[in-house]
Amino acid sequence: MTTQFTSAPPTAEATRKARRRPEDSYAARGTRPGFLWALPATLFFTLFAIAPLIMVAVLSFMSWNGLGSPEFVGTDNWKRILDDPVMIRSIWLTLLLTALGVVLQTPLSIVLGVWAAGHQRNRAVLSAVYFIPLLLSATAVSVLWRALLDPNFGIPARMTWLFGDGNLFGEQATAIGVLAFVSTWQFTPFHTLIYQGAARAIPPVLYQAAEIDGAGRFRQFFHITLPQLRNSVVTSMILMIVGGLTTFETVLILTQGGPGTDTTISAYYMYQKAFKGFDFGAGAAIALCLVIAATIVSLIVVRVSGYDKMRSDMEGVS
Amino acid sequence: MSRMVAGGATLALAATLAACGSGSGGGSSNDGKIHVLVYGDSGNKIEKQIVDTFNKTSKVKAVLDTIPGADYQQKLQTIISTPQAPDIFFHWGGGSIKPFVKAGLLMPLDDFIKKDPNLDDKFLPTVYNSSVVDGKPYGIPMRGTQPVLLFSNKDVLDKAGVKQPGTWDELLDAVNKLKSSGVTPIALGGGDQWPTLMWFEYVYDRVAGPGLFEKALKGDKDAWASADSKKALGMLKQLVDAGAFGKNYDSVKYTNGSSPALVAQGKAGFELMGSWYYSQQQTDAKDFAAKGLGYGTFPTIPGGKGDASNVVGNTNNFYSVLKKTKHPEAVAEFLKLMYSDEFVKAQLSIGNLPTTTNTPQFLDESASPEYSRFQYDLVAKAKSFQLSWDQAYPQTAATPMHQAVQQFFNGQLDEDGFIQAMQALPTE
Repeated sequence: MTTQFTSAPPTAEATRKARRRPEDSYAARGTRPGFLWALPATLFFTLFAIAPLIMVAVLSFMSWNGLGSPEFVGTDNWKRILDDPVMIRSIWLTLLLTALGVVLQTPLSIVLGVWAAGHQRNRAVLSAVYFIPLLLSATAVSVLWRALLDPNFGIPARMTWLFGDGNLFGEQATAIGVLAFVSTWQFTPFHTLIYQGAARAIPPVLYQAAEIDGAGRFRQFFHITLPQLRNSVVTSMILMIVGGLTTFETVLILTQGGPGTDTTISAYYMYQKAFKGFDFGAGAAIALCLVIAATIVSLIVVRVSGYDKMRSDMEGVS
Repeated sequence: MSRMVAGGATLALAATLAACGSGSGGGSSNDGKIHVLVYGDSGNKIEKQIVDTFNKTSKVKAVLDTIPGADYQQKLQTIISTPQAPDIFFHWGGGSIKPFVKAGLLMPLDDFIKKDPNLDDKFLPTVYNSSVVDGKPYGIPMRGTQPVLLFSNKDVLDKAGVKQPGTWDELLDAVNKLKSSGVTPIALGGGDQWPTLMWFEYVYDRVAGPGLFEKALKGDKDAWASADSKKALGMLKQLVDAGAFGKNYDSVKYTNGSSPALVAQGKAGFELMGSWYYSQQQTDAKDFAAKGLGYGTFPTIPGGKGDASNVVGNTNNFYSVLKKTKHPEAVAEFLKLMYSDEFVKAQLSIGNLPTTTNTPQFLDESASPEYSRFQYDLVAKAKSFQLSWDQAYPQTAATPMHQAVQQFFNGQLDEDGFIQAMQALPTE
C-alpha cells in the first residue's frame, strides 16, 4: 500500500523525458541515422537530377537537332537566348504568373483552410467537394476550362454582360487572367488542406484565453491563427512558387503561348524550342535560365521568411 | 524545383536515348524483315492490309510499326538515326524530310524509278513534287490528298441571299450580307493558329502566284517585301477589318470541334479547311453533313498572278526509304503497291483520296463519290498544289510562322512587322 504513494505524481518534465526515451536509446547504441542512410537517396538524386543537369549544361553549348551527333558551338545558344526578347519576356511572364498564383491562392486557401478546420458535419462534406479539382490532372482541368470558356458555346456566350465578346484567349491580359484562374482553381484545395491541418494543430487554450480576455473572432484570427500558421504559410508559398515556375500543361493546352507570344512562359518556350523546333541547344539554355531563376527565387523566399533558421513559434506553448 | 530538374532531365534523357540509340518505336532492321513505320490512327487498317498483300508474295517479309498520337514527328526524329530506324516511313513531304536528307539518311528514289518508271508516272505530278528535295524524288505518295476548300452552310447562305463566292469581291459582298443577317461570316479556329495560316496561303497564291513562296522558301528574303506580298497582306487586312471572322476568333479552336460547330449550327457561313472537314462534319453533325454542307474552291482574285485552279493544303502523305535498308529490292516491290488497284480501292473505302492516275476508275466506290470526284478533279487540274507553309518550311520555322500569322490578324503586327517576321524564318 505505502509503496504506491512514495513517488509524486509525474511532472510534465518527466513525461517529456519518458517520451524521448526511444530516441535516447538510439543514441546510446550509436545507431543514430548517419550518412549511410542518405546514400540511396543521394545516389538517385545524383543519377536523375545532378547528372542530367550537368548534361543539360553541356548541351546548352552545343547545336543539335536530334539527328547525328551534337556539335560544339560555344556560347552561341546563350547569345541567341539572351538577345531574344521573347526569352526575356518569358522570364517576366513566368514570375508574373507565379506571383499571381501566390497572391490569389494564399489568402483564399488560408480562409478556406481555417474555416474547414472546424468540426461540423457539413464542413467535412464541403471540404471534400473543394478537394475534387486537385484529383484531376492539370491536363484534364485545362481541357475542361478551355471548353467552358469557349466564346460561342461556353460560359462567356451566356454571360455577355461580363465577358463581352468572349475573346479571353485573344488578349494578353485576359489570357494571363485565365491561366492564373485555372491554376488557382486547381491548386487552392491543396493549400487549403495544408492550412486546415495547421489550423487544427493550434492549441485551443490560446483561443480560450483570448476569449476570456474579450477578443472577438477577427482579433482571434489576426492575433492567434495567422501567427500560428506562419510556418505553414512559408511551406505553402514555397510550393506555390515551385509550381508557378514550372507551370506548363495549362499553357500548353489553354493558350499555346498565344496570342502571339503573349503567354509564352519559360517552361513552354523551352518545350517549343527543343521539342517543336528541334533546337535542343537553345532549349537546354532556356532550361538552365529557368533553373537559375528558380534558385534565386527560392533563396530569396528562404531568406525573407526565416525558413533557414528553422525557428519555431511553438516554443513553450504546450 | 525538383520538377524543373526533372524537366531538364527529360531533355538530357532524350539526348542520351538518341545518342546511344535506344529509342522506342520502330524495330530492328537486322531481323531480315523490312519495317514500315506509319502514323498510328484509324487509317492503319489499310496499311495492314497492304502489308499482308505484300507478304503473300514476297520472300522478305514486311512488318508494320505505328507511332500513335500527335508526337509522330518528334518520335521519328529520335529513332531515325539509330539502329532502330525503320526501312520505310510515313511523312507529310516538304520541309519535314529535309533535315533527314541533309543528314544523308534517305535514299533518292532515282534508281527505283529507272527500273520501274511507274513509280513516277502513275502519280499526279503536282502532288509528287512536294517530296522532291534538291531535284531528287524522295517520297512515294500514300494515303490521300488533302486540299483546302471553302466550306459553307447552305441554309445560312440562302437566308442571307449569298452564293458560294467565285471571286474576292463576291466573298467581301457575302461577308457584309452575312454580317447583317446576324451571323459570323467566316468561322475561324484562330486559337490553333494553323487555320489562320490557310488564309495567307491562298491569298498569297492568288495574288502573287506560287512563285513568291517558292522563292521565299529557297531563302530569297526580298520575296516577302515585294509589292505582291504587300498587296496580299492588304487584302487579308481588309477581310479581317470587315469583320469577316468576328471578334473572338483567337479564342476559338478547330481542334476541339468549336469552329466546325459554328458552321454546323448555323452560327457562321463559311469555313476554310482541309478536305478532312467533310468527314469531321459527318462525325460531329451527321444531318448537316448530308444536307446542309456546301463546298467550293477558294475565290479567284482578279488581276492576281495565281491561276484560279491552284490549290493549297496537304498534298499527300508519302513513304520515304532509308539509305541503309538491307533489302532495297523488297522495298521497291513494296512501293509498287502504292499505285495498285487494291490500294486505291481500299483508301477510297475509308474516305481517303489517293492521287494516282487510276483513281478516277474507282471513284464510285468512295465513301462519298460526288465529293471525291470534286476533290480529285480539283487536284488533277491544279496548275500548282502548294504544300502548307508550315510543312514546306523546316520544323524550326513552324512556331514563329504561326505566331506571326496570328499577330498579323489580331493587329499585334503591322505589315512591316509581319514581313520582318517571315524574313527571319530559317529556310535551311
